[in-house]
Parts: sequence; C-alpha cells; structure tokens
Amino acid sequence: MPTRTLHVDYLARVEGEGALELRIEDGRLVSTQLRIFEPPRLFEALLRGRAHAEVPDIVARICGICPVAYQMSAVHAIEHAFGHVAEGQLRALRRLIYCGEWIESHALHVSMLHAPDFLGYPDAIHMAREHAEVVRNALALKKAGNELIRVLGGREIHPVNVRPGGFYRVPTRAELNSIAPTLESARDLAVRLVRWVAGFPFPDFERDYEFVALRHPDEYPFNDGRLVSSAGLDIDIADFDRAFEERQVPYSTALHAGIKGRGAYLVGPLARYALNFDRLPPSVQALAREAGLGPVCRNPFRSIIVRAIEIVYACEEALRLIAAYEPPRVAAVPLTPRPAIGFGCTEAPRGICWHRYEFDPDGNVLTARIVPPTSQNQPSMEADLAAVASTALDQPDDVLRERCERSIRNHDPCISCSAHFLRLSVLRP
Amino acid sequence: MSAPAGYRVAVTALGHAYRGDDAIGILVAEALRELLPQDVPVFIDRGDALAMLDHWSDREAVVCVDACAPLGEPGRLHRLDLSVDTLPPAGAGTSSHALGLAEAVALSRALRLTPRKLIVYAIEGRCFEPGAEPTPEVAATVRSVARAVAREVACLRQTI
Repeated sequence: MPTRTLHVDYLARVEGEGALELRIEDGRLVSTQLRIFEPPRLFEALLRGRAHAEVPDIVARICGICPVAYQMSAVHAIEHAFGHVAEGQLRALRRLIYCGEWIESHALHVSMLHAPDFLGYPDAIHMAREHAEVVRNALALKKAGNELIRVLGGREIHPVNVRPGGFYRVPTRAELNSIAPTLESARDLAVRLVRWVAGFPFPDFERDYEFVALRHPDEYPFNDGRLVSSAGLDIDIADFDRAFEERQVPYSTALHAGIKGRGAYLVGPLARYALNFDRLPPSVQALAREAGLGPVCRNPFRSIIVRAIEIVYACEEALRLIAAYEPPRVAAVPLTPRPAIGFGCTEAPRGICWHRYEFDPDGNVLTARIVPPTSQNQPSMEADLAAVASTALDQPDDVLRERCERSIRNHDPCISCSAHFLRLSVLRP
Repeated sequence: MSAPAGYRVAVTALGHAYRGDDAIGILVAEALRELLPQDVPVFIDRGDALAMLDHWSDREAVVCVDACAPLGEPGRLHRLDLSVDTLPPAGAGTSSHALGLAEAVALSRALRLTPRKLIVYAIEGRCFEPGAEPTPEVAATVRSVARAVAREVACLRQTI
C-alpha cells in the first residue's frame, strides 16, 4: 500500500513548540496530527501555595505577547472567589489595558506574520523591501498598543501594575490624554490596514466551526460576559466544565479541548466577531462590510481582515474610555480572602482564556487550572489542516507544507511565529 | 536644526543576564554609564528587533554590544562596521517576536531606518547555559570593551 508521511518537525521558540504530521495512504489523507511538544511548563503546579496577590505577576509570564490576558483572567477569578466585582473606572481601566494588548498583538500578527502569506514573501523582512510603508505603519500600531500597556501596566512586556482589586497605581487624566493623539493616529492606520488586507486574494474555503466566545449584554467582549456558542451554548463561565472537556492525546503536551458531545470548537477573532458583530459600533460594522465581511465569517484565511477590524475597534474603544476617564478614588479595592473557588474568563487576542483557582482561608492558592486559547483551538486547527491538505495531496511536499503553514498561521500568532521557521522531512515507503 | 551630538549617537547592549556569557552586553552597558557623556543613551535590549528599531530611530550612529558564538578564543573582541561588514544571520529557531540583531539590521535596511553608522562590538562567548554565570575569561573583558566602546562613541560624536 503506497504510504506517504509528511513530517513538519519543529516549530521553535513559541508559546508551545509544535510539529505537524500528515499520513497519506493510497492518495487519501488518513491522519493529521498537530503536535505540541514543548515540555510541560508547570505553571498550575508552581502557583500552589502562592499568595493570591502573587498570581497576576506569575501568570503574566505564561505569554510574552498576551500577558494582559492571563493577568485579567487571574484577577477576575481571584475577585470572584473573594466576592468582589470590578466596577466603574477600575473596570474601565482593565478594558483599556486589554485594548493595548489587542492592538499590539493583532498588529504583529496581521502585518508581520500573516500578510506575507498572501503576497508571496517568506517573511516580513522580505515584504518590507517592497511594502515599507505597511511595515512602518505596523510598527507604529504595535508601538501604540505597547504604549497603552506601559502607561497602565508599568512596562510593555509582562506588566507589573495589575493587582487583585484594581491596580497598584492608576494613571492621571493627563497621562491618558497624552496618548490619545497616538491612538487617533493608530486608528487611522488600522483603517488603512483593513482596506489593504481586504484586497488580498483569499482561497474559497469555509469551515463549519462551532464558534465560542464571551458575550456581554452591551459590549464587544474583553473581560466580562457569558460563554456562548454558535450552536446555542449559553452558560456562566463557572459552568465551563459542564459543557467543555479537556483530554490528553498521546502526541501532544497540550491538552485538547472539546465541547462535550460535539467535539472541536473555535475561539478567537472569527468566533468573537461572529458572536458579537452586533456589539461593534456602527462605524466599525460599516468598515467590516466595506471590507467584504458579513456578520459571520467562516473562512479562516479571512481572519486577517477580522483581526484588522478588531484593531480599529480597540483603538476606538480606547479613545472612548480615555475620554470618559475620571481617576478613581482608590487604585485598588481591598479584598478579604476566604476559602473559595473563583473563575475568570477573558478574551485574549487568540480567544477565551479560562482560569479556575481554589483558595485557602488566608487567600493562598490550593489549586489552579488554566485553559489557554491555543489548546482549545488545537482540534479545529487539525481539522483545518486536514481540509486544506486534502485539496493538495497530489502536490509536491514543499507546496503541501506551505499550504499547511498558512493554515496554522490563520489561527494563532504564537504558532504562526514558529510556522515561519518550519523544518520539513518527508518519509516515503 | 539637527539634534545635539549626544542624541545622534546611541549604544544598544544586547543579551540576557542569566544566560552565562550572553550577559556580557549588559555588563558592558553598566560599565559604560561611568564612561559615556550623559547625553548618550545606552539601551539594553533582549533581542527584540522592533524595540531595537525604535531605539535606533533618528540616530545618526549606533554602537551595538553583544556576545557572539564561540570561535575558539572566549573573550576575543570583534569590531564590525556594518557599512562594510555583514553579520551572519541568526541561527534557526527564532520567532517574529524575538528577532536577532542580524534580522533587526535587515529590517531596518528594508525600511530605510538604518543609522548612517552602525558598529557592532561582538565578544566571543563560551557558555550560554541558562542560569550560568559569565565565564571568567569573558567577564574579564568588561572594562576593556567598555573603554573601546567609549572611544568609538567619542570618535563618532566628532565625525557625524
């Protein structure tokens, strides 16, 4: 029986090192495995016994691109356990720092990682030689997002100003006003980015994902909302385990998540957008329509447009929050620890990031559980890869690899980083 | 009106304090604080190309200090003038959010943001293990490298 096995061996220096294996028998794709083989990082174990106040700074180290997501999910879970709900300007500041993270993360992914795929360049450096202005604008966007995080978080990477109950220090109105002009410029750059990426050639490819995202009564979601899906799921975040399950697979150190009884689902920009289009401001909805998007987009290659749309939204939301800012009376509300379990779920740039913590009477962590977006999307990415590869089985290995890499880059900036540096080996019978 | 001379020259030190000889750039940066005029900024970068480009923005001349791969003589200093010399590309395994110096230079050239003079001081390392201390032969070069960089900066301030 003719067998062809395509190994993509190594995805390096990412938040999850990965590889890909396709097995083809008799011209038919029989298995697709996206392997995450990064050694276990043991964050959940090392959190045990730590004081609740230490948690945000520890979990920030999980990711260099989206540390705010881990901090936000953690502080909301801690506050949930101790019976506190963030309100007013402290809540608004948390949305604001999240805007910064979306801007910098999406700008990096859209312009530096994903766009070269559509224009035939191996990487952003080669693309920059002919599209210097686009790359310069991307750097300006990333810088604007970083600046927002720095002002609110103390520094751009792994910010240190977030604490349970609020912040260690809140900004003055003048400090926030000083970055408004930068964000206004960033919004204009982001609008141009939407129009640019909307002109890319997109494969005619759709998948019937079950989308999962937070949904809030009034807002496009960052920190708050119920967990909903395109198949009718609508639950409190505390009921995550009732609807979702994680399982070990032998070829990956990342757990695979699925919806009980239904399996793979998708989190991230496509899901957020599809489930919350009506929560976008009319101006952003109009821009999405101008870019050729309807209220739902099921083509993962078009996620580049959705990310660009979310940059525009994050800039507009940041400007709105800054305009309405009044420094709160206290930087943080004191919390009273108690033995309890708390849940937090927020929208990282790549999708929902769910946390659960159990605390002892002194507020020390007894157990911790963190479900990041990447592991939730693994089964859907495998299904994407199978669908994409099935259309190219007669192609040479390098063509097949290129299409698979692109498919990975549709979903996750961290995996995408590595996918630019794939090494390929092919075993033939 | 052109920027003051000090502003137009900067130093970028690259490295990681907890990776053995990779700390040499940071140690030199610390030593430079006593040797350089106050108007010459010393940036410490971990290898993020985007941060480097930001720090190089509007500079006429930049001196980079970094450890380099072993070539047989730990602590040996190499000076490269990137207007005539080329940097070897970084090894595989980099990602877009941690591009190396070579990629930062390539990106800055593509964007036409490269400083007019870009000088690299590369110190041969021997050990880059996580958690390791700098090796004695590399650590012993800190003062001499810092003095060489200070002389380079003084020269650049005179000539640009």
